[in-house]
Amino acid sequence: MLIIHHYAFIIQLGGFVISFIMGALAYVSPLLLQAQGPLLKRFEPTLINFLMLSFLLFVVGVAGVLSRRNIIIIFMSIELILNAVNLNLIAFSRYLELNKDVLAAKGLAINPLSGPVFTVFIIVVAAAEAAVGLGIVIAMFRNRETVAIDEIDLLKW
Amino acid sequence: MQLHGLEAALFYVLAIMTLFMAVFVVTARVAVHSALFLISTLVNVALLFILLRAEFVAGVQILVYVGGVMVLFLFVIMLVQTRAEEESRVRLYTGQTWPAVIIALLLAVSFYFAMNPAQAAFRPPEGPLAVAAAEASERSSAGAGSNISKDTQAVGEQLYRQAALPFEIASLLLLVAMVGAVLLARGTKQEKYYE
Repeated sequence: MLIIHHYAFIIQLGGFVISFIMGALAYVSPLLLQAQGPLLKRFEPTLINFLMLSFLLFVVGVAGVLSRRNIIIIFMSIELILNAVNLNLIAFSRYLELNKDVLAAKGLAINPLSGPVFTVFIIVVAAAEAAVGLGIVIAMFRNRETVAIDEIDLLKW
Repeated sequence: MQLHGLEAALFYVLAIMTLFMAVFVVTARVAVHSALFLISTLVNVALLFILLRAEFVAGVQILVYVGGVMVLFLFVIMLVQTRAEEESRVRLYTGQTWPAVIIALLLAVSFYFAMNPAQAAFRPPEGPLAVAAAEASERSSAGAGSNISKDTQAVGEQLYRQAALPFEIASLLLLVAMVGAVLLARGTKQEKYYE
C-alpha cells in the first residue's frame, strides 16, 4: 500500500486525462452513443450504483474515523462521510427529477430540488465544523504538544 | 439516471477513482499527502455531481471545499505537523482497527439487507408515461451544447424562496463559527493584549 502511494498522483492524473477525453467525446457525439445498442444498456448506472458508491465512501470514512490516530486525518474522514451523504442526496434528487411525472401519477408529489438545497446547507455546516474543529486542534496542540488522539486523555478515568 | 454510453463509462472511472483516493486518504502516512488525496476525492465527487446535472452544487463543492476548507486544513497541518509520523516506527492507527473492521462489516450487512428488497423499487419506472418522460428529458439534454443548464437558477430560487430562513440561520452559523475559530486559535500573547 505504501508503494502505491508514490504512484497515486500519476494514477489520479491518468484518471483525469481519461475522464476528460471521454467527457469531450461524450460532448461531441451524442448521436454516436445512442447507436451502440442494447448491449451496453445493462451496464448503465442507475440509482443503486450511486447508492453503492456513496455507501462505500461512507464506510471508508467511518473506518478512518475509528482507526486513525492523527486528529486532522479524522477530520478529513468526517469530510469524506459528509461527501457520501451529499452524493446520496444529489442522486436521489436527480432520480426524482427524472421520474417526476411517473411519481406524480402515483400520487407522490416530491420537490426534487430539496436535494441540492440540503446539500448546500450540509456544505455550509461542514465548513463551520472544520473551522471550529481546526481551531480546537491548534489550541490543543499549544497545550499538549500532540495531535494523537490516544494521548489526549485528560477526561479519561 | 439517463447516463448513456461514454457517460456511463465516465461514471465507473470516476467511482473507482473516488474510492481509491478515499482509501489513500485514510491510509496515507503523511498528513499533507492525505489532504492532497482528499482534494482529489472532492474533485471526483464534484465531477459526479456534474454527471448528475447538479452544476451549482459541483461549483459550490469546488469553491468551498477545495478552495476554502482544504486550504484551512493544509495551513493547520503546517502549524501542527511535528514530522513524527513520517518515521516508520510511529504508530498510525489506534488499537481500534478490529472494531473498525467489524463495524464496517455490520454496516455492509445492514446495507445489503436494506437495499436488496428496495432494489426493484429504485429501477427506473416502466410504462408509457415513463417512456414519454425519458424522451422529453432526452430531447432537452440532446442539445447540451446550445442551451444553458437551468439548475443554478432553479436552486437559487429554491434557496431564496422556500429555504430563506434556514439560509439566514446558516449565515449566522458561519459568523459564530468564524468568531469561535478565531477565539480558539489565538495565542497567549494576543490573549494578554486584549485583556
